Amino acid sequence: MVGYSSAPPDYEPLKELVKHHIESFDHMVSYGLETMLVSISPVEVFDPFTKKKLRIWFEKPQLFRPQKDGISRRMHEALYPFECRQANITYSGKFLADVCFQYGNGAVIREKFNFGQFPIMLKSNLCHLRGANPQKLVSRKEESSEMGGYFILNGIERVIRLIILPKRNYPMSMVRNSFRDRREGYTDKAVVIRCVREDQSAVSVKLYYLNNGSARLGFWIQGREYLLPVGVVLKALADTTDHEIYVSLTCFYNEKHGRGKGCVGTQLVGERVKIILDEVRDLSLFTRIQCLQHLGEYFQPVMYGMENKSYFDVANAVLRGYIFVHLENNQDKFNLLIFLLQKLFSLIDHTSEPDNPDSLQNQEVLLPGHLIIIYLKEKLQDWLEKAKRLLDEEINNESKTFDFTSLAHVKKIMDKNHPKQIGLAIENMLKTGRLATLSGLDLPQRAGMTVQAERLNFLRFISHFRAVHRGASFSGLRTTSVRKLLPESWGFLCPVHTPDGEPCGLLNHMTCSSRITSYYDSQGNVRDFFKMRMSILSILVGVGMAPSLPKLVQAGPPEVLSVLLDGRVVGFIPSDIVEKAVNHLRRLKLSETAGIPADLEVGYVPLSMGGTYPGLYLFTSPSRFVRPVRNISVPPEKNNDIELIGPFEQVYMEIRCADGGDGGRGNSLPATHEEIHPTGILSVVANLTPWSDHNQSPRNMYQCQMGKQTMGFSSQAIHCRADQKLYHLQTPQTPIVRTKAYEKYSLDEFPLGTNAIVAVLAYSGYDMEDAMVLNKSSVDRGLCHGHIYQTETIDLAQRGGRSDRSQRIFRRSNLDKPVHSLIDSDGLPYVGQTINPNDPYCSVYNEVTSTTKTTKLKGLEPVVVDYVAVDAKSNRNLQKVNIRLRRSRNPIIGDKFSSRHGQKGVCSQLWADIDMPFSGVTGMRPDLIINPHAFPSRMTIAMLLESIAAKGGCLHGNFVDATPFSSSVKKAGGESESESSSLVKELGSMLAERGFNYHGLEVLYSGVYGTELTCEIFIGPVYYQRLRHMVSDKFQVRSTGTVDQVTRQPIKGRKRGGGIRFGEMERDSLLAHGAAYLLHDRLHTCSDHHIADVCSLCGSILTTSLIHQPQKRAVREIGGLPPGRAPKKVFCTACQTSKGMETVAMPYVFRYLAAELAAMNIKMTLQLSNGAGA
Amino acid sequence: MEGASYQRFPKVKIRELKDDYCKFELRDTDASMANALRRVMIAEVPTIAIDLVEIEVNSSVLNDEFIAHRLGLIPLTSDRAMSMRFSRDCDACDGDGQCEFCSVEFHLRAKCINDQTLDVTSKDLYSSDHTVVPVDFSDSSSGFDNTEQRGIIIVKLRRGQELRLRAIARKGIGKDHAKWSPAATVTFMYEPEIHINEELMETLSLEEKTSWVESSPTKVFDIDPNTQQVVVVDPEAYTYDDEVIKKAEAMGKPGLVEIYAKEDSFIFTVESTGAIKASQLLLNAIEVLKQKLDAVRLSEDTVEADEQFGELGAHMRGG
Repeated sequence: MVGYSSAPPDYEPLKELVKHHIESFDHMVSYGLETMLVSISPVEVFDPFTKKKLRIWFEKPQLFRPQKDGISRRMHEALYPFECRQANITYSGKFLADVCFQYGNGAVIREKFNFGQFPIMLKSNLCHLRGANPQKLVSRKEESSEMGGYFILNGIERVIRLIILPKRNYPMSMVRNSFRDRREGYTDKAVVIRCVREDQSAVSVKLYYLNNGSARLGFWIQGREYLLPVGVVLKALADTTDHEIYVSLTCFYNEKHGRGKGCVGTQLVGERVKIILDEVRDLSLFTRIQCLQHLGEYFQPVMYGMENKSYFDVANAVLRGYIFVHLENNQDKFNLLIFLLQKLFSLIDHTSEPDNPDSLQNQEVLLPGHLIIIYLKEKLQDWLEKAKRLLDEEINNESKTFDFTSLAHVKKIMDKNHPKQIGLAIENMLKTGRLATLSGLDLPQRAGMTVQAERLNFLRFISHFRAVHRGASFSGLRTTSVRKLLPESWGFLCPVHTPDGEPCGLLNHMTCSSRITSYYDSQGNVRDFFKMRMSILSILVGVGMAPSLPKLVQAGPPEVLSVLLDGRVVGFIPSDIVEKAVNHLRRLKLSETAGIPADLEVGYVPLSMGGTYPGLYLFTSPSRFVRPVRNISVPPEKNNDIELIGPFEQVYMEIRCADGGDGGRGNSLPATHEEIHPTGILSVVANLTPWSDHNQSPRNMYQCQMGKQTMGFSSQAIHCRADQKLYHLQTPQTPIVRTKAYEKYSLDEFPLGTNAIVAVLAYSGYDMEDAMVLNKSSVDRGLCHGHIYQTETIDLAQRGGRSDRSQRIFRRSNLDKPVHSLIDSDGLPYVGQTINPNDPYCSVYNEVTSTTKTTKLKGLEPVVVDYVAVDAKSNRNLQKVNIRLRRSRNPIIGDKFSSRHGQKGVCSQLWADIDMPFSGVTGMRPDLIINPHAFPSRMTIAMLLESIAAKGGCLHGNFVDATPFSSSVKKAGGESESESSSLVKELGSMLAERGFNYHGLEVLYSGVYGTELTCEIFIGPVYYQRLRHMVSDKFQVRSTGTVDQVTRQPIKGRKRGGGIRFGEMERDSLLAHGAAYLLHDRLHTCSDHHIADVCSLCGSILTTSLIHQPQKRAVREIGGLPPGRAPKKVFCTACQTSKGMETVAMPYVFRYLAAELAAMNIKMTLQLSNGAGA
Repeated sequence: MEGASYQRFPKVKIRELKDDYCKFELRDTDASMANALRRVMIAEVPTIAIDLVEIEVNSSVLNDEFIAHRLGLIPLTSDRAMSMRFSRDCDACDGDGQCEFCSVEFHLRAKCINDQTLDVTSKDLYSSDHTVVPVDFSDSSSGFDNTEQRGIIIVKLRRGQELRLRAIARKGIGKDHAKWSPAATVTFMYEPEIHINEELMETLSLEEKTSWVESSPTKVFDIDPNTQQVVVVDPEAYTYDDEVIKKAEAMGKPGLVEIYAKEDSFIFTVESTGAIKASQLLLNAIEVLKQKLDAVRLSEDTVEADEQFGELGAHMRGG
């Protein structure tokens, strides 16, 4: 049981949830931009006349805080996020960078270029809200718990989606049929490595295996894959001999081991190496220089800006820019390629298994800052290249007077290539989520990179930051293998919190305990990767690793294991000491002084019989998943036993559950680590379901869905927001039964439901099939009352054509007096005014045509004007207003509700209080009745527990802790957390203490008859959520109304007052029942009933025409009778007679069909006969 | 069929009476009568509650509808309600609240002018009729220390916020809206009749007796410390939960105790919202019930129904 604390809430856990967004952006701002600009290669323009060369490159990026376009130049006022939200503008700061010019070897001239407005992430270190305390946040009209992590673009909050990418700098062996189609002779096997540069841009390299035993190195340049014989690359990378290559490649096979444990090499390797070397010889390439020349010649046409360079330079540029770009040193690249080849050969020989690309073990995540920076890099590169093109054009254009040596001229040309479009491109990328790129940036998808961070309620909002998408390309895939829940994702991705339906298993959510590594350590200091790697190296060497340079070790598994540190082969470690080394490293991870990062991933893949290729893979890189576990080899007193582990190493670790048992692992593999708490495997949303361990698992999934659709308290700063649509619950409550996570994430700031007294019984019959009966008096008293806030933005600048922009102002018409009760003299509605459907609420006056135009309220329900905000930025007339309307949405029949256990239902009656069953002792009537049939098949035991617990909690006056799995956590004393042996016992005795039935049952009396109900009824408070699906938004009804112009059939669409299609299947069912009259009524009378005149002579319905008789309409009005219709005179224009005209009832579409056919020169004739003569 | 009279003469015995609480016995009648009384008390005894709110200024954090809803739920002293007219039946006015027969006007003006949060409560409502005012709990004998409490909070204002409104209270019944319900709780229970089979009880050991006595969540039985016999201490605490009967069966002693509900005697508990005194609520309820029965008796429909129901109709008319 939990007491209620009134201490100010601690928002740190909430901030932790979005940290990966903010840290990645922070790093981009402070360091990433700089690194990226340096890595953009300079362009050179050569003027043949002056024989001068101009080098242009970038330096010194500068990003500013968001500022208002000041009224005066000097004054700069800060632009705050709430202003952006209300004014529908973007929260962005100025982005400047130096463009450096250098003629020949002359002095470097720097020019500041304005690259436009760059969107700023909220609460990043360029945001005005950074470091603001709750008081300040509130004064800035934000939530007191604002966490940031998103962007504001045109007033809309958007988050960059986290997308799964292959783990960087880790060679993965893969088997894919598509590899066969590369070219003739390719097999389906390859080793793939996604190499990531310091500036986050990535190049994937694939090493394909060929049927003839050789291998090809493939990489993409500008949308085309280039395949190189691996021997050529090997030789080009290092000055070696064939023998040396042969030895390096074959060293991992040793005859004496045969096919024992951990042997990955086979004797076939030697043959393959010979083939590889022969291939090179066949190309008559013998030395490194020759190889480089060969590569340069091959790549010169595709390398942009290297037309005039020597083959040697081109080849080096290719090696630098496309092959193993995470490494700088060619010798390192050579070593890595050797390693890749060995891994490939072992894959071919089935001495190691292919890696699973769908497993989290081999994945990492794309972070917002990284995405922006690689996109920006490409945009800047393009800009520079385009500038060069423009300059080249200008030089070659002889007619113009262009002085190449004058920087002013050069700048003028460069300004043609608007630098501001760079900022705009970033903004557009964030707005649409689409990457406008040709190269693809080595990312799996080009669209859907961002999503709107809807504030429907807090759970939905927070989930956007924790969601991890597998990639849009997988959603179309027919196979289900990518959607599988793999054991590798244990502890990192929540098994419960994934939507069912189309994105099931593709859109996952991070668990509440998992984090993503960044460039910052836990203290917020930037990491020095070079120093970190050096200290790791020195420790490894100290433990007994032989460094790869100088290369002394010529062996492989099972004697020695390769050690890869961030994709670099740093050395070899004897397999008998590797375990000791790993343990040593793990211990050092925990100490702060060792210089080993706390989130170092020690991926030790042990020797196995045909398992994953063995080795020691160390990762320090950012954007990996990590999660905390307890290292039990460290004495717990020291208080630093929390180790961060990654999904790669987790697979090979022994982590036991915290229940005190050994998980059945016995003594053979003792556990080295322990989970901190079982709830760590659940996401934030899944953690809020009380006693979810007592529910059938799909119900918890449904609750994760529905929790995010609940009408709750979406925002505390609702009065300062201009969201399109906001749902708001008027009288929310805090749940009596709650989990620890509820308090940890301060969800009392954004409550989501009401504690309703729920009786489980079949009463009145209106609770069948998941319907529920609400007590009318409870609703009268405010149960689940709610509102929808809707903001209408009226922007005169955007409406209508360009011409009449300036002529329109907000003003009401003086002539139209009735409107004055709704619209004030400024043309805007009164605040607090009720507006009925089709009433005008805003009036715009056109000064030129002197006409007024009013905006009318759409929809079918009255609204109240909640708020009118004007944008007074322009000093002239108002141009933009936000009108916030409030729709009152109190529960009515057809609204949807749900408990926290995936038990949703629709309100079927507002039942009178006096007719509800009542308790003889307390006189209580339930707020809500649900049917007992909701339980047996769904097995949501936790809902029953919640009811009992909440009843007990009410009686005792405290909250009840419902954290799942708390019975399987052992406390320090060795006992399980809950003292009593069974939860039900504990809850039941709470009730019995207060004189209630142990099982939560009560004797109820019928409200109608006053007699005792024949059985005891299960009744108690359950936290109910009101879902956003309401009948008022969904009902569709029509008797008559608009019809389609062409067919005269009723139109479709709820908004336009259309009908619901009575389709073929519905028709079939009526046919099957023989309900002919009803069928005729539905499909003809109520649809396009039409009486056509048919000429029985020619059988046409199109040639008949009505003759207008000269006014001979006899005006005879006999009292009480309608004026008699003069008999129509119909005439067939084809037969030139009015003889034989008949009237036939038919669907109007039939006439349309006849007309359409006639248009195609097909004549349709009708043969008329009376029923008998058919 | 002989004209046997089923008429009975119910008796009421009041056990406990406070302003807002009443406990009484109702004897010599049946469940339909008792339940009718309960239903009328909850839903059909008229009270006065705020029904129309005209907001002049509202710069508080709560929106107009919210405040109006809260105002409606404030109980008003409604002793006059029985003699008032429903605004829909009022001939003197067209229901716009200017009429003394059917409505009472309230005014509320509150503005926060200092830095301390101002609680706008039901005490800030000024009534045009001194008999119809928000219910004051501070002088009731509920045992709370009410020196701090200033009535029911409507809204809280901070510096500069203002609330100004005119409200019209009308007569209504709980059937239309729960705000007009004068009863917080009305419930009745059948008086239980408990027979302990003493012979069988004697076969039990003291431990068994104790465990049997404790099997009831409410304290119905106890063990006499002197004789060590099981005695019924409070039969009315019995909630008909059958726990003791189940326990007896589980102990292998079925028939240890027999409990019947007396079909014709009820124990009522009435709690009032404060709008009407609990005693008055009961009297009003009986009055309303009578009026309803009169309406049935006098209505022309019953004459028609006579033919339909035959003798039953005659019976309904008090035959």
